[in-house]
Amino acid sequence: MKIQLWQAFLIGVVYYLGQMGTPWVSLAGTHTIMRPLVNGFLVGLILGDPVKGTIYGAAIQLPFLAWIGAGGSVPMDTALAGTLGTALGMASGVSPAVAITLAVPISLIGTMIWVLHMTVDITFVHMADQAAAEGKLNRINFLHVWPPQITMFIFSVVPAMLAAFYGAAPVKIIIGSLKGTPLHVLTVIGGLLPALGIAMNLRAMTAKSTLVFFLLGFLIAEYSKMDILPIAIFAGIIAYLYTNITVKKDGESA
Amino acid sequence: MSTDTNTEQLEKDTLPSEQATARKVTKKEVVKAFWRWTFFSHANYNYERLQATGVIHALSPIFKKLYGDNQEEMTKALQRHMQFFNTEPHFGGAILGVTIAMEEEKANGAPISDDMINSFKTGLMGPLAGVGDTLWQGTLIPILLSFTISFGAKGNIFMGPILFALLHMGIMWTIGYFSWMEGFNLGKEGIAKVLSGSLLPKVMSFAQTLGPIAIGALSAQFVKVSSPVKFMLGKSTLKLQNGVLDKLVLGLLPLAVTMLTYYLLKKKMKPTTVLIVLVLIGVVGGAFWII
Repeated sequence: MKIQLWQAFLIGVVYYLGQMGTPWVSLAGTHTIMRPLVNGFLVGLILGDPVKGTIYGAAIQLPFLAWIGAGGSVPMDTALAGTLGTALGMASGVSPAVAITLAVPISLIGTMIWVLHMTVDITFVHMADQAAAEGKLNRINFLHVWPPQITMFIFSVVPAMLAAFYGAAPVKIIIGSLKGTPLHVLTVIGGLLPALGIAMNLRAMTAKSTLVFFLLGFLIAEYSKMDILPIAIFAGIIAYLYTNITVKKDGESA
Repeated sequence: MSTDTNTEQLEKDTLPSEQATARKVTKKEVVKAFWRWTFFSHANYNYERLQATGVIHALSPIFKKLYGDNQEEMTKALQRHMQFFNTEPHFGGAILGVTIAMEEEKANGAPISDDMINSFKTGLMGPLAGVGDTLWQGTLIPILLSFTISFGAKGNIFMGPILFALLHMGIMWTIGYFSWMEGFNLGKEGIAKVLSGSLLPKVMSFAQTLGPIAIGALSAQFVKVSSPVKFMLGKSTLKLQNGVLDKLVLGLLPLAVTMLTYYLLKKKMKPTTVLIVLVLIGVVGGAFWII
């Protein structure tokens, strides 16, 4: 099956809508479309076989089940993995399992697009500072929406469209050349980047015992290997007890 | 429901017997601000100030109502909210709900300083991000996915992707709406009570305990660093990761990386510079197979 240019463009648009920051479908909507289960279905719809797309999407979703993007860092780009993985899998007729092996390195390459737009957007914040000093609310609103969205549209649609249009062969060559050390480096960077989001979140908390509690949560998770929800319940109990001990009735902390 | 009492209260508040100069935001404006936040919170997401312009964009209807005819106050309000802000937007919407009520009180002459508004926002944004992301991305989404993915794998469009989309967006919009409106209602009940009583220190203490523990657990699962280094000791090989590091403290390397990142940010290094440092560590460490 050959992917037509208009289909490749629409696949690029699906990828754009699954990029965190796209306002057009709400944040929850972005977090819906970025899941390969959903964008695989949408890519299937574009390519004329939504059922097949869903099957590919569901398969590619598996390695990203517990994916999380917090505090402005994204360990893997699941939207690119799902859209391109499904498109290239369907076009080249490989099995969904093979599409997974294609999708995982694609997700690592995709994080660069994210880093690029998170960095370029800083320019618009500085322009917004200027507008704030002049009291221009409407100008801030314009800067908040249009310049970042136009740049992100270009950053995401163009590479995804080209990759979908030129097909699996060149993508396989690129990924094939990523074997060994280059792929290892990308994987290592993908494992390091979430530290930035977490540290920024920690930095935003100024209570004196923040780091102690952070360490507690970290060690509980490392040694117990419990899921995150039971840990959060324990954390709630600890927080309740700690608050009762340290905050007196009049609101003074001990 | 609380939203109905809110409407009543707002109607009461806007009776002509109130002093004529009182500036009141209507429920319609609060709801409008909620939808702006729900859709546009991350539209200009960036490494320096994250959701700062998102807050201003969302609260625009409020600012227009309160400061639309006062350029000086408008400028102050915009500069006040250009500060770093980052939270999980659905649960964390409660922060902005309260913020709207604080802005309203301030516009009517209550002694609320820029500092009070900002320390309220920054005090709660991190903890609510930790709690919110744990419940949303760490719990709800994996549960919904593991349920719908099995249907998707069999090619069932409706029980697969479509059901996931409906459940996920329905639940998160509902949570977001109630957090936002409850935050506003709490603020309306009396900022003074919230700020001076024992409620705020208690909420802060609870959130500032729960938040870091949850973030610690998240980082244990998502910061992934390990070492493939092996030592040859005569005939036996000693693996640095299994044989040494794991025996000391599990997760020592991810913890060290997170703490280094935290330290660099604390030393006022720009997030983009820290990002480059992390990438360099990855390139050097990865290329030499140290990590």
